[in-house]
Amino acid sequence: MSEPARTPVTAQYREAFEALRPSLRGSAARRSAAFARFAELGFPGSREEAWKYTSLRRLENRRFAPAARQAALDLAVALPAALGAYRVVLVNGHARDDLANLTALPQGVQVRTLAEPRADDAVAAAVSRWPTGGGTERFAALNAAMSTDPLLIEIDAGVRCEGTLHVVVIAAGAAATMSYPRIVVRLGAGSLARIVLHYTGDDAAEHFVAAVVDVDLADGAELHAYRLQAASSRTFHIERFDASVGAGARLAVRDSQLGAALARLDLNVALAGRAAEADITGLFVADGARHLDTHVHVAHRAIETRSLQDYRGVAANRGRAVFNGKSVVHEGAQKSNARQSSRNLLLTPGAEIDTKPELEIYADDVQCSHGATTGQLDPAAMFYLRSRGLSESEARSALTRAFTGAVLSRIDLAPLASLVHDELDGRLVRLLEQRP
Amino acid sequence: MLSIRDLHARIGARKILKGLNLEVRAGEVHAIMGPNGSGKSTLASVLAGREGVDVTQGTVTYQGHDLLALPPEERAREGVFLAFQYPVEIPGVNNAYLLKAALNAVRKQRGEAELDAFEFLALVRDRMQLMQMDESFLSRGVNEGFSGGEKKRNEILQMALLEPKLAVLDETDSGLDIDALRIVSSGVNSLRSADRAIVLVTHYQRLLDYIEPDFVHVLSDGRILKSGDKSLARELERRGYDWVKQEASAA
Repeated sequence: MSEPARTPVTAQYREAFEALRPSLRGSAARRSAAFARFAELGFPGSREEAWKYTSLRRLENRRFAPAARQAALDLAVALPAALGAYRVVLVNGHARDDLANLTALPQGVQVRTLAEPRADDAVAAAVSRWPTGGGTERFAALNAAMSTDPLLIEIDAGVRCEGTLHVVVIAAGAAATMSYPRIVVRLGAGSLARIVLHYTGDDAAEHFVAAVVDVDLADGAELHAYRLQAASSRTFHIERFDASVGAGARLAVRDSQLGAALARLDLNVALAGRAAEADITGLFVADGARHLDTHVHVAHRAIETRSLQDYRGVAANRGRAVFNGKSVVHEGAQKSNARQSSRNLLLTPGAEIDTKPELEIYADDVQCSHGATTGQLDPAAMFYLRSRGLSESEARSALTRAFTGAVLSRIDLAPLASLVHDELDGRLVRLLEQRP
Repeated sequence: MLSIRDLHARIGARKILKGLNLEVRAGEVHAIMGPNGSGKSTLASVLAGREGVDVTQGTVTYQGHDLLALPPEERAREGVFLAFQYPVEIPGVNNAYLLKAALNAVRKQRGEAELDAFEFLALVRDRMQLMQMDESFLSRGVNEGFSGGEKKRNEILQMALLEPKLAVLDETDSGLDIDALRIVSSGVNSLRSADRAIVLVTHYQRLLDYIEPDFVHVLSDGRILKSGDKSLARELERRGYDWVKQEASAA
């Protein structure tokens, strides 16, 4: 059988793959299979439902090249302020041991790059495996083909690591790079971890980041995942984040999306064991010309599972955001509880947010709720505050802060909460000053 | 202090105020009474600067300046206070923040220094005592989940804190039980002073048993038909509004 017809777009990626292949570790056959899958799926077409409101034409038309290892190791980068006791850093897809801070990691916590996957290590398989299905499978496959330094975070059973691990993923430098960060997290039974996934970089050039986060929580484990998407405003960021949550285990996601030119996040959570729980809150700020697209999918696959999805979105200027939240309660997942809320605020004319909550229920003894709103600041509240002497911009900023406050208050990591809070405040001030 | 001349205003295509005249001097308490739909709340809205009410004719002069030229926040800073008929619930903006921001905006305008956290708290505690409000109010969202009576008390608390020169109370008595009415009234009475004017907009004379006005005006169909002293309020209570209209159309 001949290979499927390729567009010039995938040709760019094939060239990159061919060039990179000799240096890639792991199974060459699996790398090739992964690339073949990407080539087969190609970039999404305009009629693909999962990409209904997000066009990747802009991304397709850009040229990027993988960063050479030495160039990435030599690049001077601005390291963000520490958000945890331990740190690991990827620059343009390459692990920077010189910037890591892992010396004090407690016993039973391993953080390493899978530079040399161990043959006996079942987890090593995760390096070149990609999650299938959904609108971002193509990019997950591309990542599986080309990821240079997959990062593996393992917590042994019963180990409770109270200190936060700050994973810093940087796309930077004067050359337009494509990079494929892959973060694999394995929590043993009854273990606990706090991990910040921090995407950042500079705007000296355009970058394309296709990230994969692959999380597995064994029974009774607890993961606090803090996601901070603060990519440069010239970065295209596409991320596939899959998590499987075992019996009695709990996944808390605190997502803050503040950066990127265009970003897409697919967050897929499977509540696989009895009484598994997912508590997901997030905030996205689409100002300037930013385009932020978030798809959250929670699958209740076992009895007594619980989930919350609570996202707040703000858009301004030519910003555009998409939120698609879906909860599926599968057959047999009785006594489950699925709650979903998507509330959105349009700060200026011209901004747009498309939200779509979905609920599919195949069990009869469940509690589910969902709701979505999109609107502007309440004029009655604006007038009330102004009638007490607050200026228009003070009133707008108080009401916007009140709107985002509900999810901000859920970020139970103080330095991150204040960072997001301050960044948001700064944006609001600039936004309000720009108004005529 | 306040001089309203030939005021015409409409909301959308509907003409509501049709040539209203009113003079209010410092130290006076005026009651504006009238049936529903007579334009009482529209008058309060015009004075506070609510959007959506269009003044088509006439002037409103406050302390010698054109009040209508000022945006709502500048009116507030110049000492105009509107106690809302329906105070707005604003979850997520806490009362303490609003009170402090409002107070400091007014103080700044008066050329006074902003209060620090301790001075502010001492002052607000004192005023809350007057309104018999619990300190837990401060950390709650503005009017969030407040009962009708709590909302009105909160309005008067704000007034007590901001010490306006001209206070317009829009149906502050509506929805109050007798205890809440007493508390609100004593709050207002404590603010009566020689350099402050108060305009009470009300449908019922009940409030005037507690806050004694110097002047009572009957507003009907967008105009003041009759003015008198507090005895006019009692007469209105006894005879209703129709006789005033008849008297006016006969004249």
